[in-house]
Amino acid sequence: MTRLPWPALAATALIAVLAILAPWLGLPNPVTMDVPHRLAGPSAAHWLGQDEFGRDVLTRLIWGARVSLSVAVSAAALACLIGTALGITGGYLRGIAEILTLRSIDVLLCFPPLLLALLVVTLLGPGATTLIPVLALVYLPGFTRVAYAGVLTARSQDYVEAMRVLGAGSGRIMLRTILPNIGGPVLVQFSLAMAAAVVLESGLSFLGLGVVPPAPSWGLMIGAARATMAQAPLLLLWPCLALTLTVLVMNALCDGLRDAVDPHPTYRPAARRLLDAIAPGLLPTPKAVLDLAHLTVEIDTPAGPIHPVRDVSLQVFPGETLAIVGESGSGKSVTSLAITGLLPGAAHVTEGAAFLDGTDLLRLPEESLRKLRGDKIAMVFQDPGSSLNPVHRIGAQIAEAIRAHRPLSDKAARAEAIALLRRVGLPDPDSRARAYPHELSGGQRQRVMIAIAIANHPSLLIADEPTTALDVTIQAQILELLSDLKRERGLALLFITHALPVVAEIADRVAVMYAGEIVETGPTAEVFLAPHHPYTAALLRSAPDEEGPPPVGIPGIVPPPTALPPGCTFAPRCPRAIPECTAAPPALRSAGAGRLTRCIRWNA
Amino acid sequence: MITTEHLGKSFPIGGLFNRHALHAVRDVSITVGRGETLGLVGESGSGKSTVGRLMLGLLPATTGRVLFEGQDLAAARPAQMRTLRRRLQLVFQDPYASLDPRRTIGAQIADALVIHKLVSPSFRPARVAALLDQVGLAPDHAARYPHQFSGGQRQRIGIARALASGPDFLVADEPVSALDVSVQAQVLALLAGLRAELGLAMLFISHDLPVVRHLADRVAVMYLGRIMEEGPVKAVFATPRHPYTQALLSAAPSLHPERRRARTLLQGDPPSPANPPSGCVFRTRCPIAAPACASTIPALAGLTHRVACIRV
Amino acid sequence: MWFLRRLGISVVLVWVAASVVFLAIHLVPGDPAELLLSQGGSAPDRAMVEELRDQLGLNRPLYVQYGQQMWRLLHFDLGRSMQDDSPVSEEILRRLPRTLELILAAGLMAVVIGIPGGTAAAMRRGSVFDRATSWLASLALAIPVFVVGTLIVMVFAQWLRWVPAGGFIAFAKDPVQHLILLAMPASAIGLGLSAVMFRMTRAAVLDVMLKDYVRTARAKGVKPGRILTRHVVRTALMPVITVLALYLGTLLGGTVLVEFVFNWPGLSGSLVSAVNARDYPQVVGIVLVISVLFVGLNLTVDIIYGLLDPRVRK
Repeated sequence: MTRLPWPALAATALIAVLAILAPWLGLPNPVTMDVPHRLAGPSAAHWLGQDEFGRDVLTRLIWGARVSLSVAVSAAALACLIGTALGITGGYLRGIAEILTLRSIDVLLCFPPLLLALLVVTLLGPGATTLIPVLALVYLPGFTRVAYAGVLTARSQDYVEAMRVLGAGSGRIMLRTILPNIGGPVLVQFSLAMAAAVVLESGLSFLGLGVVPPAPSWGLMIGAARATMAQAPLLLLWPCLALTLTVLVMNALCDGLRDAVDPHPTYRPAARRLLDAIAPGLLPTPKAVLDLAHLTVEIDTPAGPIHPVRDVSLQVFPGETLAIVGESGSGKSVTSLAITGLLPGAAHVTEGAAFLDGTDLLRLPEESLRKLRGDKIAMVFQDPGSSLNPVHRIGAQIAEAIRAHRPLSDKAARAEAIALLRRVGLPDPDSRARAYPHELSGGQRQRVMIAIAIANHPSLLIADEPTTALDVTIQAQILELLSDLKRERGLALLFITHALPVVAEIADRVAVMYAGEIVETGPTAEVFLAPHHPYTAALLRSAPDEEGPPPVGIPGIVPPPTALPPGCTFAPRCPRAIPECTAAPPALRSAGAGRLTRCIRWNA
Repeated sequence: MITTEHLGKSFPIGGLFNRHALHAVRDVSITVGRGETLGLVGESGSGKSTVGRLMLGLLPATTGRVLFEGQDLAAARPAQMRTLRRRLQLVFQDPYASLDPRRTIGAQIADALVIHKLVSPSFRPARVAALLDQVGLAPDHAARYPHQFSGGQRQRIGIARALASGPDFLVADEPVSALDVSVQAQVLALLAGLRAELGLAMLFISHDLPVVRHLADRVAVMYLGRIMEEGPVKAVFATPRHPYTQALLSAAPSLHPERRRARTLLQGDPPSPANPPSGCVFRTRCPIAAPACASTIPALAGLTHRVACIRV
Repeated sequence: MWFLRRLGISVVLVWVAASVVFLAIHLVPGDPAELLLSQGGSAPDRAMVEELRDQLGLNRPLYVQYGQQMWRLLHFDLGRSMQDDSPVSEEILRRLPRTLELILAAGLMAVVIGIPGGTAAAMRRGSVFDRATSWLASLALAIPVFVVGTLIVMVFAQWLRWVPAGGFIAFAKDPVQHLILLAMPASAIGLGLSAVMFRMTRAAVLDVMLKDYVRTARAKGVKPGRILTRHVVRTALMPVITVLALYLGTLLGGTVLVEFVFNWPGLSGSLVSAVNARDYPQVVGIVLVISVLFVGLNLTVDIIYGLLDPRVRK
């Protein structure tokens, strides 16, 4: 649970207290008439004036709140009780019970709410006692559906199945795991129903079909004041104001409760605070396709800024595959998103430069960067299921990538899209170009993503865990395809993965990341044969292989970016750590030809 | 100890008008002995998780039966089923979804003790502490909530919960696939240790062959709901006989690519389990398929190392 | 196939609605005829009760009544009004177009204001524009529709005297006056509806902007404007359309208040007078017609959904 909406809660409580205490506030009787002073303006005795029968307006407003709220609360409570019970029964028992409860409730949804209310009022006649069951009936389906949906969600949770595995009975499961699950949404529904009931009650009373005069009700007051609006416009304004304010406060309460129950991550607008001054020595290495220097990324969190990527430098050369390997939280994906300017809103680059063929991507305005993305620099993401737009045909999605960068006719782009699909090995490309993503398998969707990526002959392809979501035999196909493309087109490939065996298969060079930093780089074969950083060594020992000894884990956990240890970030888990390791953060140092390590003891 | 006989499970799919069956599992006969670990390997859609659920009696079998110490799970009376529940346990794949976020881990581990009335209430905290200690967590962690733990720690908690009732047979459904490599190895070592210490029989379900190699005694390879090959881990990994097993082993990336046997790259995707090929289900992707493969369903033949292929 | 199934469900729903309306009168405790005739607690005349029972066919067995009712409905025969003995269907046919006109005008206003406004607010998330419009939307949502209506009458008709306080003039007779008289009730409804559309659109656009496939489109280098129209708005509009249709559906009965305030002679107004007069056949007829329209509207939404999202069409 996040923060509760205290201001709205307090305002609602204030209105409720006023309504409850109405009889003891020393107000005049709300129905006592004073005809000689009808329509009198505000005075010391009657702060808000007197109505068409000379009754005190303020009294009637407060008593009106009492009527309005008691009807709304009773109706919402009644609907909540019955509706939730029906929803839980239907959702938990399924089968016949589900049909009986849910489908019968659905029938109520065939009628617009106000209409339903009018139909019942026809049969039962107007009055406050009729209103409660009428409004309850109107809001019943909402509760049933919310409870039903909550139960269904809860039922499919692993931890509910875990209770069944333990042999727990239905009663225990309902009480312990399902009820807490739907409590929040039902509470939200309750506040919604209450606010809506206040509006509906006043509306019905306004029509003369709700609360019966002379009992005070805002709807009735507005209706009556209409007749005298020329002489006493204030009389009309007061109940309008009271009603609107009450609904405003209750709506705010609903919104607040909903946010508290169903928290969405809050993103702040993107703000790219870039260092204007480029530090000396950041000039690009001429040969590299991508030259990333001293990249640091900052994310604003409520607890203060964190740095998931710190001082990351790497180069990718033409025709080469560089793998960034690391566990979750190592910062490998953030690095790739920073290079392409696709960081989520809360994250921004604070330092560093990323030269792609001589231009610094991190200092490029968005429009220039957009022109490079999908053209010279392309990306393939982890989940091919969600990375393609479900409502467009795959041929059109490839053609879109082509036409974003080249002035081709629609027809020519589509022809090229089909050729690309053939190149990435999608069977029957002419007809499959007209398929939607959901009609393809996971492996085929990833082939489509690759077709999009290579559409404009990029010089750099960034693949972020492109095979993690795929089965082993499909993974082998995709890795093969990427290797072929790299050879054929002289692509530079930046391959991001957590799987060491995949690195061994595909990468020429490897950069190992740990807790936001690169701890070791070098040619893959050499690094895997003789790692120069204890983390690399431990990671290799923990990877199960077909041959060799059983895997050995690394004790402890990766430090969260909010609580980095002093000095070397791996020192707390390192078997070879000495006191000097925690003294200062070690720098990347050269460890033989083409190799770097962030360990002060690499040759000790 | 636990045996399945020609186990099959189909799920109805489709709407009112085109209802048909999806055969998730067909004709699976496997045995797990006391203290033994059977690795069940397959890609997504192979039906390996369904076999696990069937063997725990969480799903009713459509055909065939599951025998636990000679007792048919489907024929067990409610009272017997309660006892069986205590003895058959499950470790889940997703360490985040399998723990109730609203209850302390101590309460969740104690659930089994409460449900089966295993220890008196006053001894429960001590038992929970002992269980936490057994899986390598501090006893004072019992009062914390799941979100205060890392993925690997949660998986330890899931294992402690499964152990609380004192089970004899444990199904571990991809228990390490959601974890980082360095943490995977920790959890695998824990499972191996517990198995030796408690003499647990275990069905270890995984898509990751190297992981199975290090933990299981025997391994069964599934494809589209059927067992393709089954045998001792060493034999299956050293001399895979079914073309699917061979392809699977050669497709798995290796830390030492230069030492790997020649790669057989399978073409295309597995067919849909709703509409499997006739005869041998693997024939559509098989490099050595013959016309006869379309007409006969190969039986799982052999003594200790069994293969379902008419071509070997 | 998918379409036929949806159509079938709708037909069943219409039948269910008709049955419920039929049963409603029989589910109420006490004799329906007596209940309908009793006014203000005085016992109704026995002869009159008998006559009404006979007229409504209440003397026959329930299943016979049900069969007859359904048979009549199949022939679009909704019976005769108890107030003036005119066929109910005639009255409905005369008034329904006016109500539909009102709803469509309000819906149009909501779409024109709410959807672009919501999209713009989402694109400028956290800006002054976003906060100001969001606040306005909250306010607009909080004012009940009859309050808006009453205030419009007070300001524009009473004080400023720009327009008459309400009424209806046929379009053929005086198009300008017709539109002016339509604009007032339509904007009373449209204000709240615009706020709903605004909030829905804003939330949906924000939601879709976080999707992986929007990131893919950005990675492709697609222009921001095209990302918005092709990848964001199309998917974001789906929930918005559902909500719009739902609200338009509730308006089928919900124009009652506005029609009353502005003296607009629509269907809902005659419903209120029928309720007040306990004119049972009239109430049943109107409720049924509106329910059928409601079901039809939901069917339309499903079809639009199917056109927008290929995954639904399976």
